[in-house]
Amino acid sequence: MQVADKSTLDGIPDYSVEPSVVLKSPTFHDITETIVKPIESPPSTKWLIALAISMALFSVEIIGWGVSFYYGTGMWGNNVPVAWAFPIVNFVFWVGIGHAGTLISAILFLFRQKWRNGIARFAEGMTIFAVMCAGLFPLFHTGRPWLPLYLMPYPNKHAVWVNFLSPLVWDVFAVSTYFTVSLFFWYTGLVPDFATLRDRTLGKDFISKLKKTIYSVLSLGWRFSNRHWRHYERVYLILAGLSTPLVLSVHTIVSFDFAVSGLPGWHTTIFPPYFVAGAIFSGFAMVVTVLVFIRYIFDMQHIITLDTLEKMNKIILLTGTLVGYAYGMEFFIAWYSGNLVEQFVFINRAFGPYAWAYWIMISCNVISPQMFWFRKLRRSVPVMFVASIFVNIGMWFERYVITVTSLTRDFLPSSWGWYNPTFTDFSLLFGSFGMFFTLTLLFVKFMPVVAISEVKGVMDGARPSHHGGDH
Amino acid sequence: MSTVNPSAAYEKKALPGKASSFGWVALILGVVLAGAGYAMDPLRTQFVSIMLLMFIAGVAICPLFMVAVEYLAGVVWSTPIRRVFELVTNLVWFLPIFALPVLFNMGNIYEWTYMSDPILMRKAPYLNETFFIIRFFVIWILWVVFQQLFVKRSLKQDETGDQSLTAKNIKMSALFIPVFGLSITALSIDFMMSLEPHWFSTIFGVNFFAGSLVASLAVVAIATILLNENGYLGKGIVSDHYYNLGFGMFAGCVFWTYTAFSQGMLIWYANLPEETPWFIHRWENGWSTITYFLLFVHFVVPLFGLIQRKNKRSVNRMLFMSLWVIFAHMVDLYWIVMPTYGHNPNAHSHGPTIGLAELGAVAIAAGVITLVFTMGAKNKNLIPVGDPKLQRGLNFRL
Amino acid sequence: MSSSMDNSMNNKLYALTGLFDTPDEIMHAAETASKKYRKYDVHTPFPVHGMDDAMGLGESPIGWVTILIGGTCMLLMLGFIAWVSLVDYPNIWAGKPYFNLPGYIPILFEVTVLTGAVSTVIIMFTIACGLPRNNHPLHDTPYMQRTSDDKFGLCLEAEDEAFDEGSARELLTSLGAKSIAPVYFDASEAKSGLSLANPWFLGFGGAVALGVSVFIYVTFNYMVFEAPFNWMSVQPKLAEQAPSDIFADGRSMQKPVEGTISRGYIPEAFEKDPEAMAKYVVNPLPVTQDVLTLGKEKFESRCSACHGNYGNGDSRLPADAYPAGPSLHSPKVAEWKDGHIYHVITYGQNVMPSYAKQLTKDERWAVIHYIRALQRSQNPKETDLK
Repeated sequence: MQVADKSTLDGIPDYSVEPSVVLKSPTFHDITETIVKPIESPPSTKWLIALAISMALFSVEIIGWGVSFYYGTGMWGNNVPVAWAFPIVNFVFWVGIGHAGTLISAILFLFRQKWRNGIARFAEGMTIFAVMCAGLFPLFHTGRPWLPLYLMPYPNKHAVWVNFLSPLVWDVFAVSTYFTVSLFFWYTGLVPDFATLRDRTLGKDFISKLKKTIYSVLSLGWRFSNRHWRHYERVYLILAGLSTPLVLSVHTIVSFDFAVSGLPGWHTTIFPPYFVAGAIFSGFAMVVTVLVFIRYIFDMQHIITLDTLEKMNKIILLTGTLVGYAYGMEFFIAWYSGNLVEQFVFINRAFGPYAWAYWIMISCNVISPQMFWFRKLRRSVPVMFVASIFVNIGMWFERYVITVTSLTRDFLPSSWGWYNPTFTDFSLLFGSFGMFFTLTLLFVKFMPVVAISEVKGVMDGARPSHHGGDH
Repeated sequence: MSTVNPSAAYEKKALPGKASSFGWVALILGVVLAGAGYAMDPLRTQFVSIMLLMFIAGVAICPLFMVAVEYLAGVVWSTPIRRVFELVTNLVWFLPIFALPVLFNMGNIYEWTYMSDPILMRKAPYLNETFFIIRFFVIWILWVVFQQLFVKRSLKQDETGDQSLTAKNIKMSALFIPVFGLSITALSIDFMMSLEPHWFSTIFGVNFFAGSLVASLAVVAIATILLNENGYLGKGIVSDHYYNLGFGMFAGCVFWTYTAFSQGMLIWYANLPEETPWFIHRWENGWSTITYFLLFVHFVVPLFGLIQRKNKRSVNRMLFMSLWVIFAHMVDLYWIVMPTYGHNPNAHSHGPTIGLAELGAVAIAAGVITLVFTMGAKNKNLIPVGDPKLQRGLNFRL
Repeated sequence: MSSSMDNSMNNKLYALTGLFDTPDEIMHAAETASKKYRKYDVHTPFPVHGMDDAMGLGESPIGWVTILIGGTCMLLMLGFIAWVSLVDYPNIWAGKPYFNLPGYIPILFEVTVLTGAVSTVIIMFTIACGLPRNNHPLHDTPYMQRTSDDKFGLCLEAEDEAFDEGSARELLTSLGAKSIAPVYFDASEAKSGLSLANPWFLGFGGAVALGVSVFIYVTFNYMVFEAPFNWMSVQPKLAEQAPSDIFADGRSMQKPVEGTISRGYIPEAFEKDPEAMAKYVVNPLPVTQDVLTLGKEKFESRCSACHGNYGNGDSRLPADAYPAGPSLHSPKVAEWKDGHIYHVITYGQNVMPSYAKQLTKDERWAVIHYIRALQRSQNPKETDLK
C-alpha cells in the first residue's frame, strides 16, 4: 500500500489511497525502540524540571487538602446559597477531562479510527488520573472524608440504606464504575506491552532483574499466542462497547446532579448530552495540550502525527460547536418557556454580576475553536496549544457559571447571595493540576506511553494482503 | 492485493418497472385511505399530516447529513452506497407538498393560533403564523440548495473522476452540518413541540434528530439490500457494508433512547408543573400503553435484534430490522403528535386509536419514498463510479 | 533463559519453533500447519487480522461471560433495591412512590457495566488464557524475545500426536522459517509452579481476608467514633445537663427567674382535678362551621390514630405496640361534661399522654365540639333525621 503524498493534485490530497497512520515507514522493531526509549533511558533534564514543577504544585494541593481535613470545609468559600462551589466545579471539570480518554480508546475504536491507536494509551492513562483528581473533591465536600463507606449501600448498624433515588448516590456508582472499568481497560491494553518490556530487559544487574520481575508480574506471563489474542481482541471490543455507553452515562449522571433539581438554569433537558459534549471538548483540549509536549520531548512526531492532532482539532471544533448549540438552545428555550425566573437567570448570567465569567466561557468555548475552520491553523502546533488551553479555561468557567450564577440568584431576592473563593479553594484548584501532571509525567516515564502492539497493528503492511483493505 | 475493478463489475441497469408500480399503488392506496379518513374525521387527518410531514422531512434530510459526515470524517465504507443516500435525499423537493395540509390547517391544529394567555403572548414573536411559514420555507430552501450542491458535484464526479470535487464537498459538509443542526431543531420545535405551546424541552430537537437518523438509515439499508441482492450495485458490496448500516441503526436507537430517557427522567424527577402536562397527556386515557410500547419497539427490540454481529450481516434479518425501526420511528411520531389531538376540543377520541388516516400516511410514505427513489435513479449510476474513495470502500472488510 | 538452552539435552522437548518476517508468511504457515497439527500455536507481536480463520479457530465465546454475569448482577441489584425500597426501608423520596424504576436505571446500568467488564477481563486472563503464568517453557527464549518485538512465530508442540521432530523441522524449513529452534521444558521451572491449593497460599489469603475484615469492622464501628474522627460532634458548646462553671450553681441550663412565666403561658385552674374542671369550666367556643372544621382537622390528625376516624375506638395502629383507644361513644364519655374531656386532653388519662403540646387551648375546645358532633351522629335524635 503506498503512502499518500499530500502534495499531489494541487494541494488536494489523493483520496484514493489510505493515509498512513504512522509516518516515515518504520519497521516493527523501530516502533518498539521508539516507544520504550523513554522507559529504558535515564530521565532527561527536561523531564526532571517538569516533574519538579508539577510536584511543587502537587504539594500545594496536599497542603490544601490537609488544611481542609484538619479545619474542615469552613476553610472554603462555600456559603449558604452557594453550597456547591469550587469543589463541584473542579469535580465536574476533572471528570470531564477524563472523558476524552475513554472516547479515544473506546468510541473511536468502535468507529475503527486507526489514528486513535497512537494516542489511546496516553488518553486512557489521562482518564484515570483525571478521575483520581476529580474524586477527591466530592470526598472532601462530604465534610467527613474518612467515612466514604457511608456512600455505599452496605448493611450497617444505623439500620438505614442509601437513597437509591439520589443523583449523588448515582454519582458514587457512576464514578467508581468509570474508574474501575477504565483501569481494567487500560491494564488490559498494557499487558502485551509489559510482556514486550519483559522480553527486552535482559540485563544481569540487580536493577534489571528487579525490573524484569516487575514486568513479568504485570504482564501476567503474556505469550503473544494467537489463541490468547483471539479472546483478547474480543474482550477489547467488549470493553470498548461497554465503555462507550459508560462514558455517556457518567457525565449524564453528573449532569443529573444539577438537572433533576428545580433550580432555574440547572433544570433543562438538554443537560445530559450537553455535558457529555462539553466533557469530550475539554478532554480533547487537555489531550492536545499534553501531547504537543510529549511528541516533542520523546521524538514521537512520526507516531503521534500532525494528522492525528489535526483530527483532534476537528473534534474540538465539532464539540465546541455542539456546546455552542446547547448554550443557544438553553437561551432560546428560557425565552420560549415564558417562565420569568428562567428568563431572569439567563439574563443574569450574561449581563449580571458574573457576566465576566459568562463571556470568558463564551469566548473560550464557542469563539476560540472557530479558528479551527482553517486548515493552516488546525495544523499549527502553537495555535492548537494556545487554543486548547483557552478551551480548558472556558470549560472550567462553564461549570463555574452554571454552579455559581444559578445558586447566587435563584427565586427569592431576599435569599440571594454572593460567592468568593478562598485561598484554600485556589490551592486545591491549581494543586489538582499538579497532581494530574505529576501522575502523567510518572506514567510517561515508567510505562509505554503509546500502545506498542496497537500501533504495530495499524502500520502499513501489518495486515496480510489477502485480508487487506481499508477500514 | 485482490481487488474488484468497480467499472468492470458494475453495469448501469434500469430499475425494474415493478418498483415504480409498487410506489404508485402504495401512493394511490394511501391517498384513498387518507381521503376516507378525512371524510370521517378531518381534524384527525390534519394531525396525521404532521406525522407524515415530519417522517418524510427526517428521512429526506438525515441521509444528506450522513453524506456530509462521510465527506468530513473520510469514511470509506459508505462511499459505494453514497448514491443511495443521495437518491433518498431527493425527497426534500417534495416537502412543501407535505407541509401544505399542515400550513393550511394551522388554525385548527395549533393551539397558539387561536388561544391567548400571558405566556402565549410572550411567545407570540416566535409563534405566529407568518414567521412560522417563513421559517419553514427558509429551511426548505436551505435544504434544497445544499442537496443540489452535494448531488450535482457527486454526479459530475461520475463522469470526470475529479478529486477536487471531493475537496469542495468536504468544505460544503463543514458548512452544512451547523445549518442542518439548527434547521432540524427549528423544524421539530415548530411543527411538533409547539403543538402544546406551553410545554418546552431543550433536548426535543436532538431527540427528533436521533429518531429520524435511525429511520433514514433503515430506508437506505432497505434500498441498498434490495438493490444489491438483485445485482444492481455490482459485486463489490458485501455483508460487511450491511453490518455498518445495522450498527448505525443500533447506535441511533440507543442514542434515541438516551435522549428520550434524559427528557423523560428529568421531567419526571423534577416534577415541575409547567413541564409535566406533556407527559401526563401521554400517560392518561390509555396512552401509557403506547408509551411502554414505544420503549419496547424503539429500544428493546433493536437492542437485542441488532446487537449480534450475524444479524447485522444477514439479508433477511437486516430487512426485517430496518422495517421494524421505521415502524418504531412512526410510533414515536404518533406518540408525540396524536395525544395533542386527544386534547383538542373538537377531537372525537382521547385515547390511542388507529384511524384510516394513519394507515394512509404509512402507505403514502412508502409510495412516495419508492417513487422518488426510482424516478431519481433513472439514467444514473447507482454507485458513485468516479469517486476516488470507491475502491477503498469496496475493499472494506470488518 | 540461556541456561535452559545449554542443558537442553537433559530436558524434555516442548516444541519446535520457527520465525517468519511478514504477516503473509505466518498466515500461510498457520494455514499449512493447521492441516497437519492440532497442538500448535502462532505467536505474533500484535493480533494478525484473519489469523483465527487461518488457524481454524471460531469466534471467541467470551461475550457470553459479559452478558450472563452483567445481566445476573443487574437483576440481583434490582432485587436488592426492590427489597430495600419496598421491604426493609420503605421511604417516600421526593413525593414519588416507594419503587421508582426510572430513578434506578442509572445504578442498574452502572452495576451491569461494572460487573460485566470486570468479570470479562478476569475470566479472559485466568480461564480463557490460563494466566498469570510465568513458568511456561516459551518464556525467556530467543523465540519469545523476537515474537514480542517484530517477528511472527510458529510453534509446533511435541505433545501433538502427529509430531515428529524431523518432519516438523522439514515443514518449517519448507515454509521458509528462519531461526528454527527447539524449546525444552526447564526442569526447575516446571516444578516451581505455584498452586492455588498450596497451604501457605491459602493460609496467607485467609489471613489477609481476616485482617481486612477485622480492620473494616473496627474502623467503621469503633474508630470513626473516637478522636480525632469525632471532631464534628465535639463542639465548644454546653449540653443542657452538663455541669458548667460559668454560673454559680454549676448548671448549664438555668432555672427561670422566680415568679416569671414563659410568654403565652396561662396556667390551668384545675390541674389533676377533672371533676372540678367539669364543674366550673365550660366550652368558650361557639359551635360554628369554622370551629367544627378545625376540630375535625385536629381530631383526624391527633386523635383518630387511636380512637378511630369516627371515635369508635378502632385504632389504626398495630395492636401489639399501642393499645387501642376506648370508644368515645360509650355512655361514660357521652355523659362527661366538656370540661372533663378538656382535662383528659390536657393532662392525659391512663396510657393516653397529654396533648397540651400538640393542641392549643382553642383547638382542644374545637376538638371537643367535634367529638360532640360525632357522638350525636352515632346516636341521632329523632329530630336530626328530619
